[in-house]
Amino acid sequence: MAMSRPTVGIFGLTGCAGDQLVILNCEDQLLDVVRLLDVRDFLMASSANDTECELDVALVEGAVLSRRDQERLQRIRERSKILVAVGTCAVWGGVAAMHDGNGRAKLMEEVYGELGSTYDTAPARALSEVVKVDLNLTGCPIEKDQFLSAVTQLLNGDPPLYPEHPVCAECRMRENNCLLLENGEVCCGPLTVAGCQARCPELRVPCVGCRGPANDSNFPSALAMFTEKGIAREAVARKLRTFAPGAVQLVTGEKS
Amino acid sequence: MSSTIRVEHLARVEGHGGVTVELADGSIRRVQFDIFEGARLLEGLVRGRSCEDVSQFVSRICAICSVAHSLTSLKATEAAFGVRISPQTELLRDLLYRGESIQSHALHIFCLAVPDYLGYPSVLAMSADHPAAVEIGLRLKKLGNSIQETIGGRAVHPVNAVLGGFGKLPTEDRLISLGNDLERGLADCDAVVSLMASLAPAEFCHSDTVFAALRPPGDYGYYSGDEVVVVSGGRKESVSARDYRSLTNERAVPHSLAKHSMFRGRPFMVGSLARLAVNAEKLPDRAAQAMEQMHLAALSDNPMDNNKAQAVELILDIEHSLQTVKRLLSEGLKEEARAAVVPKAGTGTAITEAPRGSLVHSYTYDGEGRIVSADVITPTALNAASVEDHLRRTVEQSADKNPAALRKKLEMIVRAYDPCISCSVH
Repeated sequence: MAMSRPTVGIFGLTGCAGDQLVILNCEDQLLDVVRLLDVRDFLMASSANDTECELDVALVEGAVLSRRDQERLQRIRERSKILVAVGTCAVWGGVAAMHDGNGRAKLMEEVYGELGSTYDTAPARALSEVVKVDLNLTGCPIEKDQFLSAVTQLLNGDPPLYPEHPVCAECRMRENNCLLLENGEVCCGPLTVAGCQARCPELRVPCVGCRGPANDSNFPSALAMFTEKGIAREAVARKLRTFAPGAVQLVTGEKS
Repeated sequence: MSSTIRVEHLARVEGHGGVTVELADGSIRRVQFDIFEGARLLEGLVRGRSCEDVSQFVSRICAICSVAHSLTSLKATEAAFGVRISPQTELLRDLLYRGESIQSHALHIFCLAVPDYLGYPSVLAMSADHPAAVEIGLRLKKLGNSIQETIGGRAVHPVNAVLGGFGKLPTEDRLISLGNDLERGLADCDAVVSLMASLAPAEFCHSDTVFAALRPPGDYGYYSGDEVVVVSGGRKESVSARDYRSLTNERAVPHSLAKHSMFRGRPFMVGSLARLAVNAEKLPDRAAQAMEQMHLAALSDNPMDNNKAQAVELILDIEHSLQTVKRLLSEGLKEEARAAVVPKAGTGTAITEAPRGSLVHSYTYDGEGRIVSADVITPTALNAASVEDHLRRTVEQSADKNPAALRKKLEMIVRAYDPCISCSVH
């Protein structure tokens, strides 16, 4: 259903604020976007926020790393019709979720000494582990056009369309030499979802998998390519675990 | 009678923090800069990772400072392995760093700080009455991003800066286009100075602040150098990168997941104002004139002046970046192999100047180039104790203890530091 000037909230849980920054980086479109959206609650950009109103759309970045994050997210869910997870931390847990939670208390103690056990802190979780998520915009960070097309689609009531093919497809379209097949580098392009125009391999830098796994990847065949190049499965799993721990099992069939 | 003034959740800053002030019978019982950002424990998570993965990983500490984290990480790893980068790589990294500084300062000045002075809750609200100022702010912000995209491959979390050099060099066409954008940016600088000079004075906190900043060997800049200078009154003291712990002396405090730092028992301020205090004589003419027009002293006793100091750096960085681009175009970029990276066991420490102040990355590697331990100390953590000190002085120096008026001043003090709270906890 199309929406006319929907009420919107933009929120950050724990993370680097990179996805909110990408929104603010749409310098050429920003003023138009806020004419089309009724942004009611955006703490990073405004000190006059309606923190109680109902929202047609909530955009939430970051992962859940504290009781405070969890309570904020639950409250955002209650007041929103559509909740969008924005960025790899929100969708997959992101870099902080690389840790499996074991030994977290010990790490807290190493960093903070005896105060370590007194802070509000918990292992990182993706939003979908805490509340129902209606739409995922992945990427570390998201690309500007992902945000802008999501806004357009929501306004027009169009179903969201996102690539499900891997970064490799975009890389091939740009006629780059293959870092994996030609150089034997651990490039996660075959496993990672497209949408970035193959930013890293385009610059001769191997893909680190920051956007999470591609649904349309043929994982067994991609893994066979790595094996053929003498790259251990563990080396690939290690890369994937950095941004999307949940991807490891999806791709390799093994528990992360 | 006792009362509490609270800013529950600070707006227009990066990350999650608040302020608590408790008054009892007219005296101050407690002043806190509360930081409740989730602890990602990234220094712990980076252990065991290969040297090649580290800069991309630690860049995620913070988006607004992602170039600073990437480049400081590369500098620390290269120091650990004794890698010498080429002069061209050094120049491109310097340019990339300035791109981040331009983006960050433009964002902070126009979108976060100035709305307070003009009485608006946000830059979007401000845009209705001050369209020209907002247009310039967004244009300069975009200019910083263009540099980051051209040199770093992405505006947030750069991908092109790697150990020993760069993935791919920018094309001549992109540099020409960047040069044109920078010319346009330089033309906007007078308007930035006029705007900053026209703002109502914010005189509610005066302090004999201790400042600390990197002293670069060459031009006023952020990337090169290994020596931090601490300015306390008329005294200057120097601390080398490898002795950074004697500067930082970090300790945990109950109300903040960012640790606090003191130098010789006193809080100190890092960031643009500190850099001016340490490096004022390195300022080129145009920036020095801008300081005069804004009535900004190199050694300021008003932390609110950090906003003006950022404007000085904004001008300086646009001018310097334009010179660099012109030089790259006239000399031509040379295709060169990345410097060889041969891992060896040992420790490397690097200090640079992130937009918000001194940033330390220190890594110990094993013989195969895997991280054994990592220590990252960020500007907002270094500033946390100083923020509290200036909040306290603001309360002390305000004759009117009306909570609403005081709350606004306290928020403006915190905002003047341009805190990056996700950095401060990481």
